[in-house]
Amino acid sequence: MNYSLDVINLYKKFGEKKILQNLQFQLGQGKSLSIVGPSGSGKTTLLRILAGLESPTHGTIMLNGKNVTHHKPNKRNIGLVFQQPLLFPHMTVKENIDYGAKMAGQSSKSKTADLLRAISLNDYADRFPAEISGGQQQRVALARAIASEPEVLLLDEPFSSLDVQLREELRYWVKDFLSQQQTTTIFVTHDLEEAMLMGDHIAIFHEGIFQQLDDADEIHKHPVNPFVARFLKSHLVIDDHQYIPIQSIRSRKPEGEHRSYTAKLLHWTYTLGQKTGHFYIEELHETITMPIGTIGLKEKFSIYLPLEKIQFFQEAGNRK
Amino acid sequence: MIKPMKIIFYSLAILLFIGPVFLLVLQSFTEVWQFSAGQSLTFQLDSYSTLVSDPNIMEATFWSLVIGACVLVINLVIGLLSGKALSSSSFKGKSLLEALFLAPILIPVLAIAMGLHLFMIRIGLADTWTGVVLIHLVPTLPYSIKIFHNAYHQFGNHLLEQAEILGATGFRQLHTIELPLLKPAIRSVTFLTIVISLSQYAITAIIGGGRIITLPLVFFPFLQTANTSLMAAFSVWFALLPFFMYLVVELLLLLLPYTRKPWRNLR
Repeated sequence: MNYSLDVINLYKKFGEKKILQNLQFQLGQGKSLSIVGPSGSGKTTLLRILAGLESPTHGTIMLNGKNVTHHKPNKRNIGLVFQQPLLFPHMTVKENIDYGAKMAGQSSKSKTADLLRAISLNDYADRFPAEISGGQQQRVALARAIASEPEVLLLDEPFSSLDVQLREELRYWVKDFLSQQQTTTIFVTHDLEEAMLMGDHIAIFHEGIFQQLDDADEIHKHPVNPFVARFLKSHLVIDDHQYIPIQSIRSRKPEGEHRSYTAKLLHWTYTLGQKTGHFYIEELHETITMPIGTIGLKEKFSIYLPLEKIQFFQEAGNRK
Repeated sequence: MIKPMKIIFYSLAILLFIGPVFLLVLQSFTEVWQFSAGQSLTFQLDSYSTLVSDPNIMEATFWSLVIGACVLVINLVIGLLSGKALSSSSFKGKSLLEALFLAPILIPVLAIAMGLHLFMIRIGLADTWTGVVLIHLVPTLPYSIKIFHNAYHQFGNHLLEQAEILGATGFRQLHTIELPLLKPAIRSVTFLTIVISLSQYAITAIIGGGRIITLPLVFFPFLQTANTSLMAAFSVWFALLPFFMYLVVELLLLLLPYTRKPWRNLR
């Protein structure tokens, strides 16, 4: 099958530090993949390698069947939107959008006008970047990337510099915009919720590999290892082989077979209007977050894990 | 209502810049004014006719312009390339290299010129305008490299990477992004280079060997005269050169893409 993007055994080392370890994945036309992982895990380096700004130690990058591994960034048709909008300050909004298209020889007045309409900034066409807001700047950056009609668009935490409300508004807008344009997209974030919203599939990235690549449902139902389970924050990891979904933990002794542990309340917050406790399970050295509900605000109490709800990790490797 | 800061700015500009320039121009067109004797200003053009009648003035003006322009072009090319390299690359010994680039202004330029003089005689560059251009690079290049380094550092590598990702080749990146954004740096380098080059008396005399006559070489003998009107006329003539070069550079900068022409900037 001819994929839009086919990454084969990508490996990158900075000195002795391994950033990517034989990473392998494919992305079909019009699909979107969210890569999520802790800060400093190498997500941005991966995007920079895909865009051609860094070269891999070894491995192959195929773009619609063509090997572009050693092509310069301006010779591979991949768009990249950075964390900052990086608009050219001496150009107007219209000129910024037109720039990429011009470089690719695909400039047209109607395309720029369509994109300006799509990002709802037709009234700001002749403004300079310094004269529009951060959210508007990020929309222009996106339109500029789209205007050059890239085969794959990479987005590196494009909302991280925006305030929470604007970030949420833009997420939906960008998601709709990209699916209308049928653009193949890789979206990098450290926010799991954002990853679920923006991607058809989610790849959890850690230690240079995708710990798990699947859709949001599958990842939540069957995390493949303790790192994924902990990252999702929706499971209690019992040991390297077993876990239990948080909603299966009981605060009252169940009738069937079970295990019990002592939970210590660290602090509480509100999540989606519900009082949520952050607990430390002493015997397991694990921290979990769950609704306080019927537990009440006790400093220490017992939690019960019904044996039939305990599951085993099933290492699945990188799947798609 | 005019803001207090504006009033302070305009007052200082008039007091320290426009006022002295106005007095200088006025003095060049008037006889020496003895206000204590109750005399009024007497206008004259003798100072300019004495200046123009000097047999070396045109040749000196020509060589000052040629040498200044060459020094400027070389400064722009070397300054831009080194500034970009220093800002975008990271390598061992970078700080040492930066210090070395600044070294020529730490050593008296006269000492460098005397040392280089022998070398230039050997390779046939002494007493030539090319030799003078090369020696004028010593006191100018360190500033140009520093100015371009700071300018590149200010707009950052990511902006250039963004242009590259959007498909710009190295040349188009320079033409459409770097040069337009480097305009303030280019203006600074223009003024600084021309003024430094025009002010070099000793090193021009040593390397030029008296064969290459520039304005300072003509200007210094005039210092012996007590005629302040003539001195003022010479100073105005002297000041017109950097002004002229600046105008030329400004006109060239207007040719860069994405330039807001002054008449388009009315918004």
